[in-house]
Amino acid sequence: MTTGQPAVKIAADALVEVRFTVNGSPVTVTVPTRMHLADALRNSLGLTGTHLGCEHGVCGMCTVLVDGDAARSCLILAVQAEGTEVVTVEGLGTPDEQHPLQRAFSHHHALQCGFCTPGFLLSSYDLLARGGVDPDTLPAELSGVLCRCTGYRGILAAVADVARAYPDGVPAPGNCTARTIVGRGGTGGGSVAGTGSSAPSPEIDAEAARVPEAIQRPTGTPTVTVAVARELSSPVQDVWAVLNDVERLARCLPGAVLTATLGADTYRGRVAVGLGPIRLAFDGLARVTVRDVADHRLELLARGADTGGNRTTAEIVLRADPIAAGGTRLHADARVFLSGRIAQFGRALAGDVSQRLFEQFAEAVDETARSGSTPPPTAGASPLAIGAGVARAAFRRRLATLRHAVRTRFRL
Amino acid sequence: MKPVAFAYVRPTTLDDAIDELAAAAGSGKILAGGQSLLPVLAMRLSRPGTLVDINAVAGLDGIDRAQETLRIGATVTQRQAERDRVAAAVPLLGLALPFVGHRELRSRGTVCGSLAHADPGAELPAVASCLGATLEIAGPTGRRSVPAADFFAGAMTTTVGPDEIVVAVNFPVAAAGEGFGFAEIARRHGDFALAGVVSRVRSAQGQVLDATITGFGVSDRPVTRDVTGLVASAAEKTDSEAALRAGTDDLAREVVNTVGDGHGSRAYRRRLFAVLAARELARALRRSRAGQS
Ligand SMILES: Cc1cc2nc3c(=O)[nH]c(=O)nc-3n(C[C@H](O)[C@H](O)[C@H](O)COP(=O)(O)OP(=O)(O)OC[C@H]3O[C@@H](n4cnc5c(N)ncnc54)[C@H](O)[C@@H]3O)c2cc1C
Ligand code: FES
Ligand code: FES
Repeated sequence: MTTGQPAVKIAADALVEVRFTVNGSPVTVTVPTRMHLADALRNSLGLTGTHLGCEHGVCGMCTVLVDGDAARSCLILAVQAEGTEVVTVEGLGTPDEQHPLQRAFSHHHALQCGFCTPGFLLSSYDLLARGGVDPDTLPAELSGVLCRCTGYRGILAAVADVARAYPDGVPAPGNCTARTIVGRGGTGGGSVAGTGSSAPSPEIDAEAARVPEAIQRPTGTPTVTVAVARELSSPVQDVWAVLNDVERLARCLPGAVLTATLGADTYRGRVAVGLGPIRLAFDGLARVTVRDVADHRLELLARGADTGGNRTTAEIVLRADPIAAGGTRLHADARVFLSGRIAQFGRALAGDVSQRLFEQFAEAVDETARSGSTPPPTAGASPLAIGAGVARAAFRRRLATLRHAVRTRFRL
Repeated sequence: MKPVAFAYVRPTTLDDAIDELAAAAGSGKILAGGQSLLPVLAMRLSRPGTLVDINAVAGLDGIDRAQETLRIGATVTQRQAERDRVAAAVPLLGLALPFVGHRELRSRGTVCGSLAHADPGAELPAVASCLGATLEIAGPTGRRSVPAADFFAGAMTTTVGPDEIVVAVNFPVAAAGEGFGFAEIARRHGDFALAGVVSRVRSAQGQVLDATITGFGVSDRPVTRDVTGLVASAAEKTDSEAALRAGTDDLAREVVNTVGDGHGSRAYRRRLFAVLAARELARALRRSRAGQS
């Protein structure tokens, strides 16, 4: 098929800007000519659901959909993706609303280590997309992806189930709405059209390029949803007074520093997060979108990026309700969107960090409301402390999972 | 594994593509589906200076039927050919394509790229050879037409020059009374064949007019033989497959000259060829007589 792509000539040592669509979001990556699509997805866009096994077309781990058809992303140059629509496993379903194939794989124990699963999901999606599949042909049709764990029976059973349930074709990928944020900045990085900034060229000052220019309401499924409710001893007017004063509010947020007030209820600032060996400092913008005095409700949009290509956007709702005995219940609800390498830590760890951050924030708000004073900029727990707490919680959870896995594996 | 750095050019006209190959002065490589080329680059078995991506070249993406010929352009993927109703006019393509690698490879790999790559174990060169397809080749000095018999020159070697491009392949469409067969034995579905056969028999009023067999994976290129006499005499027997089998043993000794490898010795591949050839000639004969192609 003539691709309709524009003519280009790129020298061996040059970088090329490539624009295409991934899971419904337009993206731009800046890559060397020899980089394959899988590396662009993983390294430039942080979409590490696409796995790499052999990198020469044999194992099928890297299978994605390109313009609707399953293809090996290790056998497509990133530069060849110009203008195409790519769907990766991240686009297939959401954690809360999985694609029927994902549910069937789970139901039939069609995975053990899970390394082959993204490849199998997209290969089988491609097979079943148009319906009319003869179940007897499944072993041959699914031979393009290898699995070293399961012995294939669970996989075949899962795909056969879905084939039966959807004889006229399986539902389309469920997580392909245009998203506000994907990608990493800097050389070899990616960005999303519609955010107003294209991929920064290597010459552009990294600092200037990474601080977001504008904030948009994020769409799609958040990486983490936080809902914290805390009972505070201070009366609701005092708590609201803190919430309503961005300067004091910012100081209650652990690791946060307000650096500029830009007008139109928009602020520039920096939030430091520490997690074990990880140190992240996000520079970004926050805008107050709702100040509901009667309801004691404050809504904010925040967006930040760090030098390592990590990005976050959050929608935050803070509400103070009066409770008996003159106290206040402070609700903090947040939808947090992460991309870049931090997204790899998975929902659990990111969720822990956010949850802990808001809990400490609530305590600091209470303290500030009680004392009536403005806390010093370093108030609240140090980022390190958050990290240690979360890491401990995560370690305990991992240990529990491991124990459980060992027990089930060996029937202890 | 990562390829060494290369320049990448994506022309949009055939003339520009030919110019780019000429400019690369022997260090250029055409990138079609990339399903054979990219693994070779990844393993650093090849270090071309420039890749000339032909996928955006206008006019190479057609599947066209003109009278008794089906013309498939250079950028038509194997999967497009598999799905296309026009391509059904060449039933052997429908029989062979599902065995070319896997679905995920066929969605990028091209029909012409497979012919140009000329792997001895590949299916499509054997189909082209059995049917007497013709390749259209364009280069700095103009166009030429080459029959499949003169195109394959050895393992992964063809008579296409380094500054030439295969722009299309022309397959003859199935004639009335023509029947076909295809079979291969591979270690796994989607692998290159240890041995395979493509068969064609044409008959009218029960008389065998001509018959051809092509073996692949048995030599350094597809091997095609006229077996009209053998099939005509077997057609008179009640068990024509058994009758054919006697003849295909002799044929196997002549055409199977691969030295073999750890996956199958020469003797084993001879046996595969002999059995498959008899079976698929018998099938082609049945189909030809039943008017089923
Ligand atoms: C795991 C795996 C299994 C496979 N199994 C099989 C199999 O069972 N059977 C099979 O037949 N193939 C198989 N293949 C190969 C696959 O079918 C390729 O698609 C095919 O061999 C080459 O087609 P392509 O379009 O991808 O060509 P490319 O990889 O782009 O090119 C291959 C070679 O041909 C040249 N070339 C391509 N197009 C042209 C042209 N128009 N003019 C001149 N030169 C050209 C290129 O320069 C290059 O040297 C397999 C590949 C893999 C990775
Ligand atoms: S990593 Fe692409 S096929 Fe193995
Ligand atoms: S589940 Fe481990 S490789 Fe398939």
